Amino acid sequence: MIDDGEVSRLVHLEARLLDDQRFDEWIALFTEDCRYWVPGHPEMSDPTEGPSHFHDDRQLMRARTHRLANPRAFGAEPAPRTAHVVSGILAEERDGAVVATSSQIMLEWRDRDGFEADKRLFGGRVTHRLRREDGVLRIAEKRVDLIDAEAAFNAMAAPL
Amino acid sequence: MALHDPQATLDPAALVRSDAVHRSVYTDPAVFDLEMARIFGRAWLYLAHDSELPAPGDYVVRHMGTQSVILTRDKDGAVKAIHNRCSHRGATLCAFRKGSAPHGHQCPYHGWMFEPDGALRFIPWHQGYEGQFDKSEMGVAQVRLETYRGFIFGNLAGEAAPPLDHFLGHMRSTIDDLVDRSPTGRVECGPYVLRHYYRANWKMTFENLNDTIHPGFAHAASVVSAKSVAQTLERREDLAPTLGMMLANGKPVQFFQDLDMITAPGGHSYIGGHMGADYSPDTQDAYTRALIDFHGPDKARDVLRVDRHLMLLYPSSFWHARYQTVRILRPVRHDLTEMIGFVFRLVGAPDETYRNAVEYCTGANSAASPVISDDLEIYERCLLGNAQGPREWVPFSRGAHEDRERTNAFTRTPATSEAYIRNQFAAWSDYMGRA
Repeated sequence: MIDDGEVSRLVHLEARLLDDQRFDEWIALFTEDCRYWVPGHPEMSDPTEGPSHFHDDRQLMRARTHRLANPRAFGAEPAPRTAHVVSGILAEERDGAVVATSSQIMLEWRDRDGFEADKRLFGGRVTHRLRREDGVLRIAEKRVDLIDAEAAFNAMAAPL
Repeated sequence: MALHDPQATLDPAALVRSDAVHRSVYTDPAVFDLEMARIFGRAWLYLAHDSELPAPGDYVVRHMGTQSVILTRDKDGAVKAIHNRCSHRGATLCAFRKGSAPHGHQCPYHGWMFEPDGALRFIPWHQGYEGQFDKSEMGVAQVRLETYRGFIFGNLAGEAAPPLDHFLGHMRSTIDDLVDRSPTGRVECGPYVLRHYYRANWKMTFENLNDTIHPGFAHAASVVSAKSVAQTLERREDLAPTLGMMLANGKPVQFFQDLDMITAPGGHSYIGGHMGADYSPDTQDAYTRALIDFHGPDKARDVLRVDRHLMLLYPSSFWHARYQTVRILRPVRHDLTEMIGFVFRLVGAPDETYRNAVEYCTGANSAASPVISDDLEIYERCLLGNAQGPREWVPFSRGAHEDRERTNAFTRTPATSEAYIRNQFAAWSDYMGRA
């Protein structure tokens, strides 16, 4: 039985922790064997089929977010600010797992030359595959299908 | 067909000295326009692999400098390339990056229909042109192609260009390195590509990717972060490959000083020697057995012994043979550049080999790569910074007197040398100096 309120709270909390740059708490929402995946093409069904924008296990999620706090991470100097907009959460059961899909937009700003290019929009469909461990609902996989997945992107430091 | 050469008011020879280059080569749109005509209009540019066009009618759209071209396999099995422009009103013929057009390319405007080689097949309401022109004169211009071991190169200078073999020279051996690593002698391009872009000059990538001094500084944060995670692991072999890539940036400068850099005529270069490989399938028993079955033990040993990190094929592609990744550079404007990453499957190798290559390409070409994102930031800062202050010359004299060996085919220097940048600007001057 899916608890829509519980799923919705988790999806919203995950986005909020990213925006607040509380990365240790963010990673704690995921299972040990988790996957954080932003495919390079919407038709990819598995990250082994081709290169991705993000294809992280827990180690890489930790290294990536550790880096964001380092003043010598030039690609994130100064660090970006983000605001996620989360909408249209639908939870359903697929193959015995709880899967939540949502529409998300992330607004990102990083102070560079002070003009329009400093502000960017990323968006698309986010799929959370969830698993209950010791009574706690955790994220086993977060997949972000950007609407422009095949496009070229400029440097991305903040997780989507 | 040669591109129009902008009547240059600038003198390229005045922009390059033996030890430095004038900053305007990175910031001046007029320099960029001349580069498109004289460098990208003359060099052999890697466009596509044979396996991307398996069937007649299959096509891909690629760029040669700022020129969009369509490569199509014709009904006889040959690949032909034409400019992406209808010969009537000038609309582009293809809107998709790849697809199948078994009946030819039809212009969406008035329906003119072209063969893969650009020949005009028919014009709707052709009676309107009665006596006006000969259909055979209204084809789309073709682009000269040549292939080396399945890799298709194009040249906008047509018959004026020297053969591809001459252009590749010693660098053929890196393409051999990629193909010979296949236990069937065949490689296949993967179905997905990965792109990033940056707001700076195209030459920044060429001048950065064989630079072995910058990783310890530009990528210092990646090293620190990867170390902080590595320290928490119980077993070193549990380290994820991408973290290995991040850590590799922390190698001491002496490590690179001991490696060789090879530069060759045409602006090409690679770093070689005992680089080692975290993503290489060399260590996989099943892979090695398959390679020995195909090549025999002696040849297989020779194939696996080649240790080249990254070949820069000036001015438009980057070859990571050991990780089956090839990247194409697309210059868009003087201050905008796109990089497109392709992964190749060594046909007959275990699945893990392809997975490793995919992970490598993700680490090497994603805009979100902890390593690449720092490089892109640096490129953009150089564009901004080069517009500041009175200093006009950018030095590239590091290691100027450290040549280790000179042959007709190549020059060998320490891998810390900026010999590869000097070599690129020697080629640049040669291309740019010819009207």
